[in-house]
Parts: sequence; C-alpha cells; structure tokens
Amino acid sequence: MESSDLTKVAILGAGRGGHALLDLLYHIPSIEIVGIADHDPAAPGLQRARELRIPVTTNVPDLIGNHGVSLILDVTGDPDMETYLHAHKPPTANVLSGSASRLLWKLIQHESELEAELLQSEKLAGIGSFAAGIAHDINNPLQLILGLAENLAEERDLIAVHEQAREIIEAVKRASAICRDLTRYSRHASPHQDVLVSVNEKLDEALKIARYASSLHDIEMIKQYQPGAAVKGNPDELLHVLVNLITNAVHAMELVGGTLTLETKLFAGQVHVRISDTGCGIAPDKIHEIFEPFFTTKAPGKGTGLGLYNVNTIVNKMHGTIAVDSQIDKGTTFTLTFPSAEPIEQGNPS
Amino acid sequence: MDEFKSGFFIGGEACEGRVLVVDDEPDIRKVVKMTLQKAGYEVLEAENGEKAIEVINCGENRLLLDVVICDIRMPKINGAEAIAYFRSNYPRVPLIVLTGFPDTDMATSFLRQGVVDYLVKPVEGEKLRAAVARAIEQRELARL
Repeated sequence: MESSDLTKVAILGAGRGGHALLDLLYHIPSIEIVGIADHDPAAPGLQRARELRIPVTTNVPDLIGNHGVSLILDVTGDPDMETYLHAHKPPTANVLSGSASRLLWKLIQHESELEAELLQSEKLAGIGSFAAGIAHDINNPLQLILGLAENLAEERDLIAVHEQAREIIEAVKRASAICRDLTRYSRHASPHQDVLVSVNEKLDEALKIARYASSLHDIEMIKQYQPGAAVKGNPDELLHVLVNLITNAVHAMELVGGTLTLETKLFAGQVHVRISDTGCGIAPDKIHEIFEPFFTTKAPGKGTGLGLYNVNTIVNKMHGTIAVDSQIDKGTTFTLTFPSAEPIEQGNPS
Repeated sequence: MDEFKSGFFIGGEACEGRVLVVDDEPDIRKVVKMTLQKAGYEVLEAENGEKAIEVINCGENRLLLDVVICDIRMPKINGAEAIAYFRSNYPRVPLIVLTGFPDTDMATSFLRQGVVDYLVKPVEGEKLRAAVARAIEQRELARL
C-alpha cells in the first residue's frame, strides 16, 4: 500500500458513534486512525481505542492540526464543534460532521444489525440439524423416568423406592440441562458486550452443543488446554465460532471416525486456539473460498454456506486471525490467534 | 423341534423367551430389562452393534434368542448396521427398533427390511411387552 493511498483519520467524539466508527475503520487497511478525542476520559470509544492502541486525547486542535490528518470525522453532535472545525481545520483535510456524520453512523449501525441478523439466521438454521441429537438426549432420560415410575407404582421395597426416585431426579436434571444449553446458545448474541472470556470454558461448552449436530461416538478427543487462556470479546459470538469449527471438524470425520484435538496456548501476548481433525480435508482449490459467503460443500439444504463466513467476521471483530491448514484425507487444522486478555480470576467466568 | 421353542426353563421359573437389548445407554438397558423381566423374559444386554453380534454368535443364543430390541444411534457398529447384519445372518430372529429419534423415512426403511416394530422412546412398559409378545408370536407362526 503506497502512503498516498492511506487515509489518515481523526475521530472526534468517543460515544457510541465514535466507538462504532473505530470498530469499523480499524479493519480497513487503507485507513489509519491517527487518534480519537473526547472531553470525557471515561467515554466508551476512548476505552476501546486504548485496547486497540490508538492514541487518545482531549486536545482537539493538536489532533487535527499536527498529524497529517486527511479526514476528520466529527461525531460529537455539537454544533459549536462543527463551526470550529470549518474555521480551523488544515486546508488539506476533509470534514464529515453534522447530519453527514450522523448518516454515516446510521449506516454503520444498520450494517452491524444486518450482520447480527445473518449470524442469528445461520445459527438457527444450524440448530435444525440438531434435532436427532436433541431427541436422542431427551428421550433417553424420558425412557428411564417412565420405566422407573412404572416400576415405582408397584415397588414395595422402600430402599429401592428411594434409590429409583433419586435416579428420576437425576434424569430430569440431565434433560433440563439440554434445554438450558440450547436456549442459551440459540438466543441473540447481546450487542457490544465485550468481556473477558475463558477460551477453555467456551471450548467445553461448544463441545456440548456440537454433540447435537453430530454423534461424537466414534471420535477420540484430545484436549490440551493451557490454563488462563482468556480473550476479550462477546462470549455468545465466540461460542458460535467454536461450535461452528468443532461441528465442521466432526462432520469431516463422520463416516470413518478419527481424532478431534482442541488446544489452547498462550504465547507472546497472544492466545492460540487450535481445532484439528483427521477427516476428509479441504481440496486445495477450494481452501481460498471457504470463508466466502454461501460457499458450501454440503448437499443442497444441508448447509447455509454462512458458517465460516460468520466465523471469519466474528474473529476479525475480536481482532483475531484465522489460519487453515488442510490435506485431503489427512485432516484440517484451524488456528485462531487472538490478542491475549488478562487471565480470568477464579470464580468469575463469563 | 424342541430346542427352537420359547418357554424353556431357567432356574426353575418359566421363561417367556430370551430378549437381547442393544443400547449404548446403561440406563435404557436397565429399565427395558426391568420391564421385560417382570413379564417373565430373560434379558441379555449389549452396548453396541459389535457387542450385539458377539452375543448373538455366542453358544446357544444362536438358537434360543427370541427377539432383539435395538437402538439406532450408537458407537462402533450402529443400529442400522447391526440390523442389516441380523437380517442377513439371523433372518428368523424378530427385530424391534427402539429409538430416541422418530424418523418416518427411517421407520419405513426398517420395516421394509423386515423389522417387526419401530418404537420411539419413551415407550410404556405395556406397549413394549406387547411388541415383544407380538414379535415372538410372529416368529412362532413363521415356523409352522
């Protein structure tokens, strides 16, 4: 990228608008955010900027005057700021303020709503394929409950009655845990909830969900978790990413069985999450397409083609990267790399 | 042919027949066993299709097994594979599918393969015993 193509942007106002702009512009390679200003040091956009290591200031004249800024995005909503900018901006800088910047913000909001909708529809379409697994896991405890209850109606031995009543209670708990896991998974991801998330816990949670999508019976599991692996992001969205990758891995080994390896590692301020299968692999000529929307190798009606597209969107949003390594008939490894967050204190999982 | 007849004796009690229950969940095997034992059946267990094939090939079971009750979603050799094996090697032993997942297409295909009943969990004891009794009756009729 030549420097003349680089747009140097200053953001004024770090409320919700500034925060949204930061998140959007941060991922565009031709844009450099030179800084963000707000008079309130606790503004959400300023906190976000600190996480992204973008300079934060309260000094507007310095920000717009001294950093070769070519575009000033004013989302303060303050008419005085608009007047000030038109009088004092560097002659080479463009200003987007007032109703124009409000419109930009609305478009960004609209896009993030669409993104959330897309994610949700893909998730719900996926849950349709869970039916067999859910039926299996609910009807088995129900069979136990029914059988024991029928027996209890005639049972005379008090010790047996107590024992079987306890078994019924345990079976009810197992069945209700299934409903709890799935309703939690199927809900809309709550927006703008970036918190510390334990990757190891989310991997285990994702495994529970993935079991419904496909039987894990003939699959050997290897877990190599480094304790304290934590990232910052939306826990619902990270779960969705992991469910997707684990489900794909299991599907790749569906007919022949194999080994599923889940690994987390902390290294040089980064968290690496590796999901590996020994399944059918991805053809070399297809590997570049897998993150494209509507790309699928599944039979019509079986996959939405949005799984990995959404995985990629979420990982980008979390400032992470994805690497794929695949060999036909040998298997596939997805490695996610995220900036490491402070380790989670015990007893405070998210 | 006395050795083919149900109603042999075990430990001095009249036995209605010998049933093999194939399910990966020990809980399911336990309640099915409980339900059928009350009605006088002897119940054998297998935790997957592979074990089921072992059991049916073991000694007198080859001759004396009256009914197989089989789950579908299981590790190793799954229910569908086990059923195909039983149908080709032991066509005289009636098969009952007992599954957690109602699937019309699958049910139709199993019934076409000669499976005598397709039951969906949870199934009442009475219904299960009736299905087993019916299967044994059909087996007896087939022999006449």
